Amino acid sequence: MGRGIAYFYTQLKRMIKIFPRQAIINLLVFLCVGVLMVVFIRDGLLAQDGQKYRIGLVGDMSNSYLGFGVTALQSLDDSRLMIELVTMTDEEAREAFEKGELYAIVQIPEGMMEAIESGANDKPISYIAAEGQKGIGAVVMGQIVDVASTLVTRSQSAIFGLQSIMLERGMQEVFWEATNSLNLLLIELVVNRSGFYDVEVLGIANGLSIEGYYFCSILLFLLLLSGINNSSLFTHKQTDLPRFMKSRGVGAAGQVAGEYLAYLCLMILCIVVMFIPLWLCLEKGLFTIPEWDGMGAAPLWEFLMVLLPVAAMFAALQFLLYELTAGIVSGILLQFICGMGMGYLSGFFYPAAFFPETMQRIGSVMPTGAALRYVNGSVAREEFGAAGLGVLLYLVVFLALSVLVRKNRIRRG
Amino acid sequence: MELELAGIQKSYQKKKVLKNISLTAGKGSCVGILGGNGSGKSTLLSILAGVQKADGGAFLYQGEDLLRNSAKIPSVLGYVPQGNPLIEELNAWDNLRMWYDRATLRKELEQGALAMLGIGSFLKTPVRKMSGGMKKRLSIACAVVAKPKILVLDEPSAALDLVCKENIYRYLEQYKAEGGIVLLATHDMQELELCEQCYILKEGVLEAYQYDGDLHHLAGKL
Repeated sequence: MGRGIAYFYTQLKRMIKIFPRQAIINLLVFLCVGVLMVVFIRDGLLAQDGQKYRIGLVGDMSNSYLGFGVTALQSLDDSRLMIELVTMTDEEAREAFEKGELYAIVQIPEGMMEAIESGANDKPISYIAAEGQKGIGAVVMGQIVDVASTLVTRSQSAIFGLQSIMLERGMQEVFWEATNSLNLLLIELVVNRSGFYDVEVLGIANGLSIEGYYFCSILLFLLLLSGINNSSLFTHKQTDLPRFMKSRGVGAAGQVAGEYLAYLCLMILCIVVMFIPLWLCLEKGLFTIPEWDGMGAAPLWEFLMVLLPVAAMFAALQFLLYELTAGIVSGILLQFICGMGMGYLSGFFYPAAFFPETMQRIGSVMPTGAALRYVNGSVAREEFGAAGLGVLLYLVVFLALSVLVRKNRIRRG
Repeated sequence: MELELAGIQKSYQKKKVLKNISLTAGKGSCVGILGGNGSGKSTLLSILAGVQKADGGAFLYQGEDLLRNSAKIPSVLGYVPQGNPLIEELNAWDNLRMWYDRATLRKELEQGALAMLGIGSFLKTPVRKMSGGMKKRLSIACAVVAKPKILVLDEPSAALDLVCKENIYRYLEQYKAEGGIVLLATHDMQELELCEQCYILKEGVLEAYQYDGDLHHLAGKL
């Protein structure tokens, strides 16, 4: 035991000697990724906020009712925030569509309004979109066009039907007043359709905002890949020291414990160093995540505590990967491949919900998946539960495997 | 006899590396084990050092079987592996502090084994900047921390210059003179001159050999 503690102190001394260099490199990488993250998230959100679908209206726009309808949509309807309708000629529309300046073209067939006025619905509006726009946006737009044309044509048919009945019954004195009232009622219903539903945005994972989600995932990704930068810290593949330690009574478990704990201390120090600029940014309001709105940088230190078990698990994983490989180069490669692969599958780059179900299942049971769910849960102020237990379980498994691999290394020499 | 190996056996899967290895050594003696590459010398020494387990046999010191009581090995035996069991980023002092408390270390540097090995002259030098000879002397210094009665060395002077070799031999002579038992695996003829007994390990079998300075004869035996 005494020798094991002495070995830990010696390893710690070694880590402290290397710490400034490691901390500077980690800090630089963190700052670069942090700036990219802030820019990426801000630009993404701004783009989302300001993004409008530009739709070209072509065809027979001569009817004054249609002109009135388009003006009403552009000035009164909620869709004006998302859709910009531009009246243009066929050629202009085709040219703009080819350049990608239009999302879609809505073609009004000749005589459509006259057909509606006569109560017919045999001249449908065409919605033209590019082949590649088969995403949810195109589907929704198609549905909107379908619903709108059905509603408008059916409602107009009903209004014209009522007009005929009024004329037949000799109600000329109220004819225009009633027609206008019905038209205004229809417009009011169409314009106020947003009152029919309520949209609730649940966030992307555990109800987290995009900023909250990527704050967690990028931080974890950096921690995961810090093993590449820290490659020089691990005992090189020389077997003499482990064998010598064994002859002095420090077995594989004592050696792994000494080296791992010293490495973990260094990792925690590096995280603290990384958190200082983060704390400054949060304190000065340069960056924030909605979950911590109005709380300044106070939740950051609580978050640091939450991050410790994950740091311990990632440190154990990095330790195991270096134990498994035969040299530093193969160790770095393995760290990189594992980091990228596991990070991708667990949703470090895109929320896991975007992946097929099988991939989601694989990603969620991976160490990185457990870590992300655990950290996301803490930011979303949820119970740690199974994800926290998963992190601890992986920590124990990685350390146990490291001891087995070290034992084998000592025995084989 | 102070030290006795009796019927030590070791196999790697189906290959028998050591077959009934037996020898004896008295206080203040040096036993040299010769053999070609892969003959099992390092395996034998690592079994004695408690690094590997033997499949059978006994390693008796003063009548006690250390293979059955391996916890006692660190206090009785010092092991110097073929490479250097040192932490490259640290200096000699830091490496030694892992094994010695501060007071003992100072004392040993002034008048003990570490003074004899000349460690004081490169105490603050990082291991990565040391010569091969310095590293080997430092490795021996780490191994003799518990003032062991048996010192096991795996090719201690391989690739060292004459001055370093001389320094190490002087220390080993002194160690023997103080009653210690030296077991060393070697390819070096100069090292054989330190040994009272020589053995050749070939195909897992240990045979006694009397070195008479005839290298051709020795090479034929290996």
